[in-house]
Amino acid sequence: MSQTQVSSTSDAAAARAWEPTVVAFLCNWCSYAGADLAGVSRIQYPHNIRIIRVPCSGRINPAFLLRALQNGADGVLVSGCHPGDCHYISGNLAARRKFALFKELLQYAGIEPERVQFTWVSASEGGRFAAIVEKVVEQVRKLGPNKKLVKTL
Amino acid sequence: MTDSHEIESRLRQAAESLLREKKVNLFIGYEKASLPFRTAPLFLTAPKEAGRLVWNPFCTANLAVYLPRLFKAPADAREAKTAPPPPKVGLVVKGCDARSVVALIQERQVPRENLVLVGIACPGIVDRRKAERALGDHAALGAGEDAKGNVRAVVDDGTEVTLHRERIVADACLECRAPTPLLHDVLIGAPVEGKQADAARRRVAEFESKPLDARWARLQETFSACIRCNACRQACPLCAGCKTCLLDQTRPRWIGAGTDISDVATYHLLRAFHLAGRCTECGACARACPMGLDVRLLSRKMSQEVEDLYGYRPGEAADATPVLSAFSLDDSQDFITEP
Repeated sequence: MSQTQVSSTSDAAAARAWEPTVVAFLCNWCSYAGADLAGVSRIQYPHNIRIIRVPCSGRINPAFLLRALQNGADGVLVSGCHPGDCHYISGNLAARRKFALFKELLQYAGIEPERVQFTWVSASEGGRFAAIVEKVVEQVRKLGPNKKLVKTL
Repeated sequence: MTDSHEIESRLRQAAESLLREKKVNLFIGYEKASLPFRTAPLFLTAPKEAGRLVWNPFCTANLAVYLPRLFKAPADAREAKTAPPPPKVGLVVKGCDARSVVALIQERQVPRENLVLVGIACPGIVDRRKAERALGDHAALGAGEDAKGNVRAVVDDGTEVTLHRERIVADACLECRAPTPLLHDVLIGAPVEGKQADAARRRVAEFESKPLDARWARLQETFSACIRCNACRQACPLCAGCKTCLLDQTRPRWIGAGTDISDVATYHLLRAFHLAGRCTECGACARACPMGLDVRLLSRKMSQEVEDLYGYRPGEAADATPVLSAFSLDDSQDFITEP
């Protein structure tokens, strides 16, 4: 077997083996509980997700999301309570403006919009949580590995 | 347009009387620098020295950058007991600088009652790099302004060259919507008409028309020469007013210190984001950049987005709530992922 053949077969193998990693920042009161409900309800969703629990979507600093991407996450999902349902009254409303601008900024800079996604999931929406995770993971899988922001040094 | 010499003499009078009548303890303006196309910041405390103040097309620095450090809150109760009372400060402001001061007042970084703003209706300042480029192989030995507002430079072969003002005016000035300070206590010079925002919008639209990968490539190209010196941060009045800069934090170190493109891009993305709804588009960051990079590439977009989404322009009203400190139940949420 020639050298090129070896590398192409191992590339193909690597591509088959590659699974996206999506870091999910979930608020403690709604979305984390929603993920919990999906679990106890035995709803299947992709295991590519790595959940980080934060007190509120208002706690999320966009630096968290960039750092996740720098450190090799292929995608980031942020989820909080639906607007109006925030445990802290308005944390998600203040966050919504930041998220809208940050998403625009990343897209403007040339980062695929599907890499960083924002959503709302309430504590009773286990099904919605699973559906969203499925959608996000599928979209990130289609994009392939994160090569733009990842730090390779 | 009022003649620079007339503005200069009125500025000196204003500073002299403010200091003499003890309406301010400190007056911040510009003085002559040793290199052509430049001025240096001047901190005056004695009225008799007001003659050192200058006004010319090279008064580029945004002097609002010095304000936040003058009004730093005491660290604790003990320090508060011994701290001297906050100073009264007089400040020379162009249209853009006045917007920065307004933004600082909005964020309560500086108290309005301690400021006396000497506004100058600004015809646009000179971009030193454009002027140097216009001179080609020649180096300038000295520069001044002629009666028509054009710049005259003496170059190294002893000849005098006239540089037309509109050819060397800074980019930010070409897009400036309020060259006459919106907030001022004294206004010097006849009001100058503002420009439309079209130029900035065209630049954003041109960048945005490219596909994602081309944009990323252009961003990499723009910032590949970045040496991470943080000059853009230091020159920015809004960054100067920020007490929680991610760059000053080491646990965790949010952004690596090197020039790896991942860190450089992260730095510029976060800088643009932190200035969203705060950037008053004075262009101080771009002029401070030792590598001559277009450091406003991303913040330009943020300003436009803030205006389009929330109808907010930073630095226009001192009593307005900063856009990211406010919210509304009907803010747009088109960006939310639905299953």
